[in-house]
Amino acid sequence: MLNIISANDYLVNSLKIRLLMRKQLLLIFLFVLGVGIAGAMAQEKIITGRVTSREDGKSVAGANIVVQGTTRGTTTDVDGNFKFAVDAADASLVISFIGYKTQTIAIGAQTYFDIALESEASQLQEVVVVGYGVQKKSDITGATANIKGEELLKQPVLTATQAIQGKVAGVQIISSGQPGTTPQIRVRGVGTAFSGTNTLYVVDGVLTDDISNINTADITDINILKDASAAAIYGSRGANGVVIITTRRGSSGKLKISYNNNIGFRQAANLVRMANTAEYSNYVQDATGNPPNVPGITGNTNWYKTILRNALEQSHNISISGGGDKTTYLFNIGYLDDQGIVIDNEFKRFTIRLNNDYQITDYLKLGFQSSYSNSSNQNGFGNIDIDTYGNIGSVYNDTYRAAPVIPSIVDGKYGNTSSFQNVGNPLLDIKDNSVKVLESRLQEYSYLEVKPKEWIKLKSGFGVDWRNSLNRAYYYQFSNDNNTFVTAGGNQYNLRSNLGVKNAQSYHWVWDNTATITKKIGKNDFTFLAGMTAEKFSLTWFSASRKDIAADPNLWYIGVGDANSSQNDGGGDRWTRNSYLARLNYSYDGKYLLTASIRADGSSRLPVQNRWQNYPSVGLAWILSNEGFMDNQRIFDFLKLRVSYGKVGNDQIPTNAYSVNVTPNTAYAFNGSASPATNGSQIRVVVDPNITWETTTEKDAAVEFNALNSKLSGEINYYDKTVGNLLANIPVYATTPDIDHLIIRNIGSVQNKGIELSLNWKNKINDQLSYTVGGNVTFNKNKVVALNGGQAIPGGGIGAAQGFTTLTDNGQAIGSFHVLKVLGVFNSDADAAAYKDVSGTMIQPTAHEGDFKYFDANGDGKIDDNDRVFAGSYQPVAYYGGNVSFNYATEKKGSWDFSLSIYGNAGNKVYNGKKGVRISGTDNVERDLVYSRWTHANNTQSQPAANVGNLPGSTYFVEPGSFIRINNVTVGYTFPSVKMKLRVYITSQNLFTYKKYSGFTAELPGDPLNSGIELSSYPTTRTVALGVNVSF
Amino acid sequence: MKRTSLLVKPLIALAIISFAFSCSSSFLEVPLQGGITTSNDPALAQKLVTGVYSSLLQGDSWGNGDVHGFAFLSVTNIISDDADKGSTPSDQAVPVGDIDNFTLTSTNKFCETLWSGHFFSIGMANQALAQLSIATIDTTLRSQLIGEVRFIRGYLYFNMVRMFGGVPLVLRVPKDATDANTDYFIVRATASDVYAAIGQDLQYATNHLPLKSKSAVGHATKGAAQTLLAKVNMYQGKWDQVLALTNEVIASGQYQLVPDYSTIWRQAGDNSKESIFEIEMGSFNNDNLDIDNYTVCQGVRVGGKGGWDDLGWGFNNPTTDLANVYEIGDLRKNSTIIFIDNSGAHKGTMLWDGFRIPSSDSVQNLRYNYKAYTSRTKEQFANIGDKNRPKNIHILRYADVLLMNAEAALHLGGDVATPLNSVRQRAGLLPKANPTQDDIWQERRVELAMEHDRFWDLVRQGRAAQVMIASGKINFVAGKHELLPVPNSQILLSGNKITQNPNY
Repeated sequence: MLNIISANDYLVNSLKIRLLMRKQLLLIFLFVLGVGIAGAMAQEKIITGRVTSREDGKSVAGANIVVQGTTRGTTTDVDGNFKFAVDAADASLVISFIGYKTQTIAIGAQTYFDIALESEASQLQEVVVVGYGVQKKSDITGATANIKGEELLKQPVLTATQAIQGKVAGVQIISSGQPGTTPQIRVRGVGTAFSGTNTLYVVDGVLTDDISNINTADITDINILKDASAAAIYGSRGANGVVIITTRRGSSGKLKISYNNNIGFRQAANLVRMANTAEYSNYVQDATGNPPNVPGITGNTNWYKTILRNALEQSHNISISGGGDKTTYLFNIGYLDDQGIVIDNEFKRFTIRLNNDYQITDYLKLGFQSSYSNSSNQNGFGNIDIDTYGNIGSVYNDTYRAAPVIPSIVDGKYGNTSSFQNVGNPLLDIKDNSVKVLESRLQEYSYLEVKPKEWIKLKSGFGVDWRNSLNRAYYYQFSNDNNTFVTAGGNQYNLRSNLGVKNAQSYHWVWDNTATITKKIGKNDFTFLAGMTAEKFSLTWFSASRKDIAADPNLWYIGVGDANSSQNDGGGDRWTRNSYLARLNYSYDGKYLLTASIRADGSSRLPVQNRWQNYPSVGLAWILSNEGFMDNQRIFDFLKLRVSYGKVGNDQIPTNAYSVNVTPNTAYAFNGSASPATNGSQIRVVVDPNITWETTTEKDAAVEFNALNSKLSGEINYYDKTVGNLLANIPVYATTPDIDHLIIRNIGSVQNKGIELSLNWKNKINDQLSYTVGGNVTFNKNKVVALNGGQAIPGGGIGAAQGFTTLTDNGQAIGSFHVLKVLGVFNSDADAAAYKDVSGTMIQPTAHEGDFKYFDANGDGKIDDNDRVFAGSYQPVAYYGGNVSFNYATEKKGSWDFSLSIYGNAGNKVYNGKKGVRISGTDNVERDLVYSRWTHANNTQSQPAANVGNLPGSTYFVEPGSFIRINNVTVGYTFPSVKMKLRVYITSQNLFTYKKYSGFTAELPGDPLNSGIELSSYPTTRTVALGVNVSF
Repeated sequence: MKRTSLLVKPLIALAIISFAFSCSSSFLEVPLQGGITTSNDPALAQKLVTGVYSSLLQGDSWGNGDVHGFAFLSVTNIISDDADKGSTPSDQAVPVGDIDNFTLTSTNKFCETLWSGHFFSIGMANQALAQLSIATIDTTLRSQLIGEVRFIRGYLYFNMVRMFGGVPLVLRVPKDATDANTDYFIVRATASDVYAAIGQDLQYATNHLPLKSKSAVGHATKGAAQTLLAKVNMYQGKWDQVLALTNEVIASGQYQLVPDYSTIWRQAGDNSKESIFEIEMGSFNNDNLDIDNYTVCQGVRVGGKGGWDDLGWGFNNPTTDLANVYEIGDLRKNSTIIFIDNSGAHKGTMLWDGFRIPSSDSVQNLRYNYKAYTSRTKEQFANIGDKNRPKNIHILRYADVLLMNAEAALHLGGDVATPLNSVRQRAGLLPKANPTQDDIWQERRVELAMEHDRFWDLVRQGRAAQVMIASGKINFVAGKHELLPVPNSQILLSGNKITQNPNY
């Protein structure tokens, strides 16, 4: 090391500067934090070094370095580096880490140590969080998956969930790419018919369904409980899978500082090319016999170019951690700024985390993990209550339909699309309002742990989640006159400006009390857990609005507006849950494993007669590789068979689902406009007073193995899960006095059966070059097996002439597309007239040449809704992920890392709803359609002739949804330095997608009955970013 | 000892906590926040009656339900020979164009929302009746409130039977979701059963409601119940009933024709001496309280050269056929139709409040419904910025009573001329000495033009096919298009237990 410095003056200087900076930073933070770490500065001799894994050369984070015979020591940082002071008398170091053989090294005169640890039995010794406790990964009898924090940090994504995509078999992540949104997770298929599909996230013990407040850099570990036996400990919360997130802690030893950032830009990844003015005019002429009659100036507008941009994205994180003998601390500050690719859209988030632990005495420990986040979402789409004001929600659909012949904006005046009998001007849709959502969120979990004896641990933990959101929507005043538009007219106007605000505050607490007993009697290992939990959620909100407030943002306060236009509203929600749980883990001789658990759940959301439910589970495993008869084989290092059975539930229904309530303020003006209206009420809901828990029963069997000196590892899983008492919002007859004609009921059951495979190979080619290759695939089949009363549920209503587009029926996947079947296109009017049924009735009497020929499925001589057929589902037959990584490490020239991951879906269908809601002849068409449409010269049977839209829902709109995508590519370089670690990298998210679907994306989140329909979705984005990781 | 206590204390604490929670089952007993129930609002029954009236304002034509919105307008006016769809040719070609041209199918959204909107209102009436039967209120007040609700239910079923023929006859609230799936709520009753139920509702209302002079403004009255019952009887050809009831209304002295026909559809004409029953609109919560889109969809629409801030979407245009059917000098013509200046003189059209509509090169269509015009300058609105503004709908008025009286007299041999001529006189026309049936029907058409009566009246008269085809609506099929299709969504939901109307 000294040689390096003397050989390079530049490096010396820069190191000096860094050291200086570091000391200043250190002092500042010492002052700020008031954390006493005096020992770190008193030193006799400083030793440094790096701990790696012998197997693959990768650094080992968190390894313990202790001076033999003392408690003095440290742990390695994320890059395996360590540095601490030793006394002259210290003889040797003991280096240990779970899963590796412990090493002892003499100190002598050496100051730098390059330590390669020998793997003990691979990562299986790792301890993972399994809910109310931890377990060795090899001892788990259910289906779980684990992802490390550093995996997540590689990707420039907003939420950690998105970074999991493609990494775990059985876990489908559907992400819209829209700033500020949480992706949807489907664990092993669609397990409910209701919109309560939210996965349970357990963030350091706090239960939530939204982790958009969690800084990805704070996460050390994510564990996903996939099957019912693993999730049963969360009972009624486990039906949609459980994602346990553990945030980083400090570790005893020297203070560590790290800084991570990435800065990049995003752009629309796949755009649909729309017709330009010439193409559009040609099409319209053919469809209507007349060219488009454009009022005023004719433009040639690419509307997508008008509203989209290359957006800047950046995130920065500073982390300070460390600890002494009795305390550890971690302090983290993060800032993220994500401009949307749609103009005026921006999401910003600031996060602070403080995680501290205190070992008060040898039997008493307490600590807390707390995080505060503050976010602002400007003109975000899909934000709560935004569509009440302005037209932002319709921007995408309007952009798709807007006619190119209308200019977007000319000399500050907007092209008047609506006076051209077209949609509203999409640019004005964005510019005519300003919507901002501010959210503050404090999440905190504190615990007290008492260990009166070595074998018993009592823990009481209290988690809170405090959220405060403030929405502000201002809607500008403008009329459809010549001041706003190039030509006056149309129905895009807002005659009075409007300001709406909404404030919502929620408070959610969870209190856990558990006792854990661990005993080893001979070859028998027992761990017994018992406990209770209680939780309560309360929400209060109010909103207000006034009109006639000037456009100056400094005036955007309710008090400024016209009091005679005041409106306000408010409400609240409250629910509670109470649970008792117990779990036994038993293992005999490390070969035979048993896990049994039970949770009794009570929920205020269910009627009193159905309030309590029990969720049992049992899992068995046999570690064959620990048997004597396996000693002589050299293939498997580890081999485990496991089977499990478990039950979980779901109560994600509104709190008022089973009670009849009165709707006030349904007024009537008995005296017309002469005097204000009289207040009235309506009872406009009909409920099922006997609704009960949705219950998932799952069987799971798997083989897990490590083979060929742990170079190959893998897992094969079979599962069969049946969701009974499926809760769904089912349609009822219009004769029912219910405002939306939907009632929440338990309607039947649905089954998901599937197989998951995952394989990983890691090896090194030589001392410098190592690599890994991995992949996973999940095959899932979803089927509705029993609908009570057999009443099928239509869904996916998209309006226009399309009506509903999905039907959930026995024997079909949930939300299967149900539409008319297109047989082809009529080549002539005579052709159309000749299309008759057996009795000689013309089946499509109003059809002409170039129109679609539909299949008369029921043979009644006419085409109507009764001729709809099933046309596939949004649920993929298979989804898969793969990854490759290389690491080229040298001592002196630094190291290079490269990784690439792919993700794909196969066999799913997409409904091209945006194409289907072309409700007016003035709406634009896709460029491709202009050229491929049916004509006498081009009488292919795949596209209809030019038309004015309003086509019925048919297989024409159902397209293959299979896709494969390069999810992430990262190339990084780590500078050769031991004092600090410096890595720079370039990464790209969603670099390239190969898909058959003609629209933007086949990845479409939605609730179970209405998914896979592309109607007005946010264009998917591609990101390229540069980043730096620094730590010392 | 010390160690033991360390273990025992937390365990005891844990046990106590657990015990506390398990014992207090009240922890899980969380009252619905903000939830008004039948037990915590003593004035609920009366409020529900207002809620029934309120449900008549449904105008969510593309969504949940329509009673008096754009869909109602489409199947009463636009469907007839009095009005065309209007706006631009492609605008709302589906579903409104299909109604205008009789190319509609069972998936027509407006037919669906009319079905669901009416049944929702009927459901609100049934809910109110259920609560009224158990409410602790004065018995006279109770029967009057029941009378009001049954009047409205009768009116709704009268619309339903005229639109769809026989419909499920739902006269009670389902006990729960299971009950709502029983045949009572699914299977269609015959049209005559529906008419019988309407008769019972209106008879009750007639017996228990006070006269208009004894009643609060805007509420259903004895006169309203009698008038509606007369009309219901007219649709069934029970002319003696029609005559008796209309005579009683005339003799009650509660009503008279207002002198100026054109004022009836202005705020000044709301709840006038001529008014028998109106759908009332006004203001609530600092905003307009009206029917979604009812006036804006009929407003004068900018077109051609543009250049002005228009009044609406331009639907429901009076036809040339209607314009030509007025006798010369009929004052009603220019009170019913806004004629757009197409003379080339570019003078525009001056409306009653002084507002000038530009001439035809800046307007989309040539005729608009004057009876849906609201004045920004001469009328009062809570929110004038909204182009859709309150406008009372005149469901029953005295002129209708006189014309029904005349038609009944013609059938039964009585004084036809007096009632008919009082209507003609106000319109500035000469009396007819010996009016014929055609005279009465002609008078009904022009007197009630654009008032949601014409199409049903033609079906009643048995000449819908003849008149429709003559007016150029060549798709009209006799025996089919007199009724609307039953929504296919309902038929599908019922597994074909609900039957479709003939030939759809």
